[in-house]
Amino acid sequence: MTRRYWNINLEEMIEAGVHFGHGTRKWNPKMSPYISAKRKGIHITNLTRTARFLSEACDLVFDAASRGKQFLIVGTKNKAADSVAWAAIKARCHYVNKKWLGGMLTNWSTTETRLHKFRDLRMEQKTGRLNRLPKRDAAMLKRQLSRLQTYLGGIKYMTGLPDIVIIVDQHEEYTALRECITLGIPTICLIDTNCDPDLADISIPANDDAISSIRLILNKLVFAICEGRSSYIRNP
Amino acid sequence: MSYPQSLIENATLTHNQHRTITMAACSTSLSATFSLSFRQNHPSRLSSLHPSFAPKQPKTPFSLPLKLTPIKANPSDIDTTYFDTIKANSSDIDTTYFDTTDPEEISTFSPPERPEDFVPPPSFDEGPFESEDEIARAYEELYGAAYSGETFLGNDVYSMDSKVKKTTGFGSKSKKEKIRDGFEERVVQVRRVTKVVKGGKQLHFRAVVVVGDKQGNVGVGVGKAKEVIGAVQKSAVNARRNIITVPMTKYKTFPHRSEADYGAARVMLRPASPGTGVIAGGAVRIVLELAGVENALGKQLGSNNALNNARATVVAVQKMRQFSEVAEERGIPMEELWK
Repeated sequence: MTRRYWNINLEEMIEAGVHFGHGTRKWNPKMSPYISAKRKGIHITNLTRTARFLSEACDLVFDAASRGKQFLIVGTKNKAADSVAWAAIKARCHYVNKKWLGGMLTNWSTTETRLHKFRDLRMEQKTGRLNRLPKRDAAMLKRQLSRLQTYLGGIKYMTGLPDIVIIVDQHEEYTALRECITLGIPTICLIDTNCDPDLADISIPANDDAISSIRLILNKLVFAICEGRSSYIRNP
Repeated sequence: MSYPQSLIENATLTHNQHRTITMAACSTSLSATFSLSFRQNHPSRLSSLHPSFAPKQPKTPFSLPLKLTPIKANPSDIDTTYFDTIKANSSDIDTTYFDTTDPEEISTFSPPERPEDFVPPPSFDEGPFESEDEIARAYEELYGAAYSGETFLGNDVYSMDSKVKKTTGFGSKSKKEKIRDGFEERVVQVRRVTKVVKGGKQLHFRAVVVVGDKQGNVGVGVGKAKEVIGAVQKSAVNARRNIITVPMTKYKTFPHRSEADYGAARVMLRPASPGTGVIAGGAVRIVLELAGVENALGKQLGSNNALNNARATVVAVQKMRQFSEVAEERGIPMEELWK
């Protein structure tokens, strides 16, 4: 894998608050190699390791994007939902920012059925057929449409299973992570001090509570994806 | 190792808001170098998916200022005559990974050099806001129309319909999957199972099916449905999902004895000379036959539950090793194993 410069500097990370962990009582002892200190009842992660893993993740993502692989970004915390959506749109990836429905990947055939329904409802709305129905039916269909839009809006361009999944908080998205593991999809995960670093393929120890830290890491990854994509477009 | 104290002092941490306030801009630049460690290369699913994703072997350290050498014993001290009988070639055993793994060691994070014309890209929520049209167009260039319901580039909106197998209607229930993809199915057992609810008994059928080609791949599956056929199909799907390979010698028998248990079922498997045939009962026989094993002896020692015995034979077979594998692992020629 080619290693490129990703503009990862430790001052930026400290400014964003990437090094804060969760409270001392809630830690996962498997995280001990990545924790450097304990301040005021909070664990502090070791930022050089974070930087190293982040650059590795960026390299991997750049390589994959330059081969034309598909990505999925999963982040359902309400604080991070907007940034996940923006980041994914900027990088032209699929995303899930509202609740991760169980079986979205393992039960892909059923998810596909829902996507079909979504597409059909959109077509009907565009052609205006919804206005010709009686009011009650139209209201029901509109409600269904809005529901499908919130849950499946980010994956409406997904034709098959993604090749790499980026998960924002492992503790929160445990079901998503489990699904990827059973299917054998490589994952990149933002790990906090209460998470298990062995589950994901590349785990980046970082702060998952602060929006600034999530934004910083997503920025780097999105930049890597964009670079990879542009090199893929230039020579497929 | 610890951060320079001044950096920590700059952080104004109140007990409850510690994580969400951004730190005051730290004025001191990081002059000290911090430690890093190699992450152990655990067997990565990345490499199994795509060969290009194989983890890079850390042959050279990631810019270690101190080179750690393992403590080697002086060869003249040790009496090596005992070890000469085992002709393990020391160059086969790769211990270079011991050189670099020490979580406590000090090393630097040295990324590649910053190119001179590097412009930090804008964050994703600033910068030019794209209209929805542009976004949809960009997505469509990459992925095609998929399920979005609208096209800008003239792709067919209904392109995904052909990929869905129609479950009802004219196209379904055609003569499909007789013996698709080369696997033969055999039903071990079909039972009628009951769930008692307030209204009465709810009956289902549970089928245990073994799937195999006769070339050494078998799988055991279970499925339940209200109809026998449905249950058999579900269990065949399940069986195809967990297929294992059976190590076989050229005379279509096992390399060695093996015993295993699953639940209360214990199964003993023993190789046999050619011409013996498969001498085993019920579920064990079906698993071995579909695996392509022609000469073997097997006995159910514990319970005689069909499903558990089938699973136990699978476990027993997974425990077996070929002679060549063992010789490779131990680093000795195969002739040694037969002495």
